[in-house]
Amino acid sequence: MFLPNVLAASSLVSVQPGLIFWTLVTFIIVFFVLKAKAWGPILQLVEEREKQISAAIESAKRERAEAEKLLADQKTAISEARRQAAEETRRNQQEMEKFREELMAKSRKEAEELKLSARREIDEQKTKAIAEVRAMAVDLAMEVAGKLMSERMDDSKHRALAEQFVKGLPLSGSGNAGVRRSA
Amino acid sequence: MRKAMVLFACLFVATAWASESGGHGEGNEPSVPDYILHHVADTNDFELEVPLSHPIHLGAIPPIRIGSCAPVMTDHGLQAPTGWPGLMAGCLDLSITKHTVMMWLAALLLIGTILIWSNRDKTKMVPRGTGANLIEMLVLFIRDEMAIKNIGKEDGPRYVPYLLTAFFFILFMNLLGLVPWMATATGNLAVTAGLALCTFFVTQAAGIRSAGLGGYLKHLTGGVHWTLWIIMVPVEILGLISKPFALTMRLFANMLAGHIVLFFLIGLIFILGHPAVAAVSVPFAFAIYLLELFVAFVQAYVFTLLSALFIGMAVATGHHHDDHGHADDHGHGHSELGPSHDHGKAHA
Repeated sequence: MFLPNVLAASSLVSVQPGLIFWTLVTFIIVFFVLKAKAWGPILQLVEEREKQISAAIESAKRERAEAEKLLADQKTAISEARRQAAEETRRNQQEMEKFREELMAKSRKEAEELKLSARREIDEQKTKAIAEVRAMAVDLAMEVAGKLMSERMDDSKHRALAEQFVKGLPLSGSGNAGVRRSA
Repeated sequence: MRKAMVLFACLFVATAWASESGGHGEGNEPSVPDYILHHVADTNDFELEVPLSHPIHLGAIPPIRIGSCAPVMTDHGLQAPTGWPGLMAGCLDLSITKHTVMMWLAALLLIGTILIWSNRDKTKMVPRGTGANLIEMLVLFIRDEMAIKNIGKEDGPRYVPYLLTAFFFILFMNLLGLVPWMATATGNLAVTAGLALCTFFVTQAAGIRSAGLGGYLKHLTGGVHWTLWIIMVPVEILGLISKPFALTMRLFANMLAGHIVLFFLIGLIFILGHPAVAAVSVPFAFAIYLLELFVAFVQAYVFTLLSALFIGMAVATGHHHDDHGHADDHGHGHSELGPSHDHGKAHA
């Protein structure tokens, strides 16, 4: 009774060539069917996806670098513009200041000149007026004296006397007072 | 290795018990070991097992034989020669057996499942739905973790379809064996030998492709002086054969032992002859069943991983076969084999 069981057990480890054959055939068929219908398309799709993803990552990286470069450019451009604007303002202010000072100096000079010419004019007029007043005073004195002495006085003699008198008068306003006193 | 020990222990107990119980003369009622051995064995008889009753005989597929199959005298009478002796006599036995049918069923289920689940909008880059995502995840896992890591970035993708087919085919056969009324095709040495032969052929083709026929043959000589070839060449050939042999035995022993343990736990009820035993053996059997589900995945994974490793080693011979790379290959191979053995032990 032991032997049949051993034989039965040995049938478990016996290898049937027919079944090996069927296994090979089945495996090969399954392999080709699945390769053509499933693994091929799936693997192709996966590869394509991987390629797309890596390309997308690559381009994103590149674009980011580009954007960063652009940003840096912008930043330098902005700071440059700001610096230029500050420079411009500073220069403008300087110019303004200079212009103002120039203007001030000019106007001050003009005022000075105006003042000077006015004073000159006044002096001129004053001298003229004084001369006139002197002449008038002489005439007046002569007339008064002539009237007082009624023709006893020689005209030229008296005139010289009056002129001498007037010359003795002071030039300024006190002279006028003297004229008035003498008159 | 532990799996194999369990298997042989079970076989031993089975034969011992059968011889003992057979001595009592229980008539035509089959003993538990007989039942188990009958269940896991490959036949061309198809039976539907019915609980609490005798199995219903579904009929048998007549044997298919090619060649000169003159009947010869055997212990059981005049029979056509089968198996290897038959092949030697020029008769190829192509009978459609239980395991053949199971294998075809698994193949059909596999093709159907993969085709239905991988059928998606191909214009879209991203998969939608559980099935498509699951398949893509497994495809990517096998491509990145097995093919590219073990074979290399250059040659790896070429062998991905093979590895994928091997993984899913073995997985489906393993899982089909766990369905009631089905049988485990991978629990048959011929099936696992056939699968390992595929890996063997692919490995040799990879070696020839990468090193050229000259380089491949040169590798077989081990790079030693020609006077030593008579020793080296058989050793190298033995090395080539031992790899698929390991694949064959590992898958076979794991699948068969799991089923035998499962049946034995249930069979304990009948061996001990008391219904109370069921309180212990049924939960145990349930736990073993769950373990077997896990083992179905692990064994498919291990077979595929080792195939990838062997292919990777063959490809590597082409890349540095002319320097001292020979010793490197073997060292590399052994170090890489370490963790996968651990996988085998982990569940055993």
